[in-house]
Amino acid sequence: MLQYVTINMDGALLRVAKGTSVLDAALEYGVCIPHLCHVPNLSDMGACRLCIVEHVVNGKAKVTTSCTLRVQEGMVIKSNTDKIQRLRRNIAELLVAEAPNSRAIQDIAARCGVKTVRYPFRNEKCVLCGRCVRVCKEMFAANAIGFVGRGKERRVASPFGKLSEFCKRCNTCLEVCPMTITPCAGPMKPGEEYLCNKCESQLMEIASAPDQCFFCDLGEGFQCSRH
Amino acid sequence: MTKFANAAALEGFRRELLRQRDSIKGTVTICGGTGCQTSQAKKVIDALRAELARRGLTKEIHLRPTGCHGFCEQGPLMVVEPGKVFYCHITPDDAAEIVEKTVIKGEVIQRLLYTDPVSGKKIHSEDDIPFYRAQDRQLLSQNRQVNPLDINDYIAIGGYASLAKTLAKMKPKSVIDEVAASGLRGRGGGGFPTGRKWLECHDAPGEEKYVICNADEGDPGAYMDRCVLEGNPHLVLEGMMIGAFAVGASQGYVYVRNEYPLAVEHVRAAVDQARELGLLGEKILGSRFSFDVEIARGGGAFVCGESTALMASLEGTVGEPRAKDVHTVVDGLWHKPTVLNNVETWANVPSIMGKGAAWFKAKGSKGSKGTKILALTGHIKNTGLVEVAMGTPLRTVLYDIGGGPSRSKDIKAVQTGGPSGGCLPASKFDLPVDFDALYDAGSMVGSGGMVVMDQGTCMVDVAKYFLDFLQDESCGKCVPCRLGIDRMLEIVTAISEGRGKPEHLPLLEDLAETMSLTALCGLGKTAANPVLSTLRYFRDEYEAHIKQGQCPAGVCQALIEYNIDESKCTACGACLRACPYHAIQGKKKEPHHIVAAQCQKCGICHAECKFDAIQVA
Amino acid sequence: MPPRAIKAILEGRRSQPQQLIEVLQDVQADYGYISEEAMRAVAEGLGVQPLEVYRVASFYKAFSLKPQGKHVITMCTGTACHVRGAKLLLDQAQGQLGVKPGDMTDDGLFTIAHVNCLGACALGPVVTENGASHHHMNPGRLRKLIDNLRKEEKAEVSHD
Repeated sequence: MLQYVTINMDGALLRVAKGTSVLDAALEYGVCIPHLCHVPNLSDMGACRLCIVEHVVNGKAKVTTSCTLRVQEGMVIKSNTDKIQRLRRNIAELLVAEAPNSRAIQDIAARCGVKTVRYPFRNEKCVLCGRCVRVCKEMFAANAIGFVGRGKERRVASPFGKLSEFCKRCNTCLEVCPMTITPCAGPMKPGEEYLCNKCESQLMEIASAPDQCFFCDLGEGFQCSRH
Repeated sequence: MTKFANAAALEGFRRELLRQRDSIKGTVTICGGTGCQTSQAKKVIDALRAELARRGLTKEIHLRPTGCHGFCEQGPLMVVEPGKVFYCHITPDDAAEIVEKTVIKGEVIQRLLYTDPVSGKKIHSEDDIPFYRAQDRQLLSQNRQVNPLDINDYIAIGGYASLAKTLAKMKPKSVIDEVAASGLRGRGGGGFPTGRKWLECHDAPGEEKYVICNADEGDPGAYMDRCVLEGNPHLVLEGMMIGAFAVGASQGYVYVRNEYPLAVEHVRAAVDQARELGLLGEKILGSRFSFDVEIARGGGAFVCGESTALMASLEGTVGEPRAKDVHTVVDGLWHKPTVLNNVETWANVPSIMGKGAAWFKAKGSKGSKGTKILALTGHIKNTGLVEVAMGTPLRTVLYDIGGGPSRSKDIKAVQTGGPSGGCLPASKFDLPVDFDALYDAGSMVGSGGMVVMDQGTCMVDVAKYFLDFLQDESCGKCVPCRLGIDRMLEIVTAISEGRGKPEHLPLLEDLAETMSLTALCGLGKTAANPVLSTLRYFRDEYEAHIKQGQCPAGVCQALIEYNIDESKCTACGACLRACPYHAIQGKKKEPHHIVAAQCQKCGICHAECKFDAIQVA
Repeated sequence: MPPRAIKAILEGRRSQPQQLIEVLQDVQADYGYISEEAMRAVAEGLGVQPLEVYRVASFYKAFSLKPQGKHVITMCTGTACHVRGAKLLLDQAQGQLGVKPGDMTDDGLFTIAHVNCLGACALGPVVTENGASHHHMNPGRLRKLIDNLRKEEKAEVSHD
């Protein structure tokens, strides 16, 4: 039988199944916590850090990722404080500067309130969110791609740079990739480090109540679990 | 050899050892640590051994190669007993004379004595050398007394007696209470109370538990763990055994850096010898406690100093940290409760159990007890390993023990705590070596590395150096660490090349806050510290780079030029031969000059010139 | 010593995935680098996926996936060596040999590398040549070290 616990999220009491993550609990109840590397039903690695929340223990708030945090009875979570918003914006800014050509990442950046980007754009092809790696490993048990190298050299690759014999050519890795969704048409060249506002116009409605889920268009863009 | 059946058998063996050693007339202790081996210690040891054998003195004179004595700058070094005569910079050619004069006749060879750089006087005995005198060498002094490859040496000085006492007379819980009462805090960097860690692991559910010794000393500029493990491996093992007994573990691991081959060799030998004597294995010393240790070599990754990454590495996978919402004391190696302590922390345990918590607590400051080993390096006269009571002011370490700056320039800053720590300016030298005090000042004690920097060091360059290091060593898993360090490096590089903008400084601070609060592991959370601390104390240097386009210390290559002062150039040709880029031209007896287009500004000519003719502008 | 066969290195450690790093250390020590062939053999011997072996081999600094020169000149670039001018040494080696760190010279004689700390900080800057360390190095001494190694190699060639 499923056991339930009650947690306090931004003042609201949520009753959720024991063992779920705080992020899943929030999304289930329509609390919008931005996230990128989280894929429903796959393990969470806490790589993108966008889903950070404040976990209050003994009156002290600790910043932690909600995807790796399991619910516990009586847990107090603040998902959208000024501090969290500021930190999320900075992380989203780092991401969008890396891949301004990704529609999904642009959407996330707009969602997190990034207006201008303080770093030169780079147009990287991959932001190492690891969605493809986990889908390949956990859903298809293929392990055909994985993280290789470390630090600056870290990349997603197949063993020895050759197509793995275990690859089933299912293309799911492409489907979950935030870089393969229709690229944005906005001015995203190095030297033009600003967002085009096209995404933002979609967000006008959301901006008035930023912590609630409206099943926004951009949710589809970054494949939010609600969609 | 037979295994010890109980504590009394161990004590009996020790007495017998001491009785046998009574006939020894003198001891020649020679440092064979990595530092001294770099300076030919092995050849000196061989020469001495041959000389003693030639004179038939092998039985009367005990030649003891040991681990590091700490005064690496003076190596190879030795101490001749009786008399504690201290010789430094010995060469293999000195062996015969040392045996002839000092060992046999008790005469002192003036030439080999240490000269105090301050007074210029020769010093006979180790005890009178200022470098040693101002220290409190609880752990390091044992290095001199044992040959790390001979367990008998360790037993002779009372080794494993603390283990015997613990096993015979104490309950696990009372061991933990004793360690907690001592106030011992983790020596690896975090300063977490050891007793509390052990208690949490002890209380964690599960039959199978592990203890790990972290000897993956990755901090550049720190090597105290190497010296302790290399010089006195049994001390570390004994500490681990006591810890394993306390938390209920029956398997331990020592995770050693692969860059420390000598430490790997010594700890392997130590484990074998301990097994032979029944100090590792089933039912140790007749108790119900069984325990064994395995040695694992690290693969060379700084991030493996992080507990979860180290455990992943022990499991044979990539050393990536994972989220620690459940602590490793509950969910650690193979998902079992695990205590991970650093080498120096384990090494402190036997004496706490042997002499009691009160003895340990008597040394140190309010929040930091006991002694701490520091690695003193950089622009300082006496480089080496230093052990002081916690709470000792930095000034004492730098000037009384370290002897002050090594060049004619004043000390500008001391970098403590490695890449997770920070740079403290001279105005903070009255701060004590204390976990909390240094943390509050924007740095940390860390594992104890202290790199001294004089006025010839550019703090922007230092920040850039650490970012470079961290970018190389970050696992790259999480965004704030990977991209944060990357962007910081981009900005600091721009500043060092004169392309910095005033808005870069607040951006660095903003980014630093994001990294410290949101990164996945300790490496990322502290990665911004070198930048933050240099910004805090040396902001004027950043501003000089940005506003005036100048590097005050003359280090940043893009902002300087090398020229040859013709009046000083003797046309010796040293710079011409030295330049790897062939950027220096000149004929014999004619002043040389630098071809600007070819010059890579590496500064090699500047370092080579003996006449100070090459100038930085 | 001729390198042991991968089979011999795996002896006694077959089907023990946790031994992966230790086994790769031995392969690296014997062969000087880890080839794709070796990684595949290790994967099979230990019962781990080839991808996992590749990941581990590419993650840790101790492993090289490219063949290394006969003489590996390693510059310590730890903090203590850095403040005493380790960068000059790297410049010297790069300029003199014309290769970047991690790469091998065309004649296969030299590879230059840097390591983040050798733990001989008090004696910095430290340089090791195939494991033998040299302390208090400066660009001039490094130049001579490399020149001498070159000369020895030439002498050997002419003797052959």
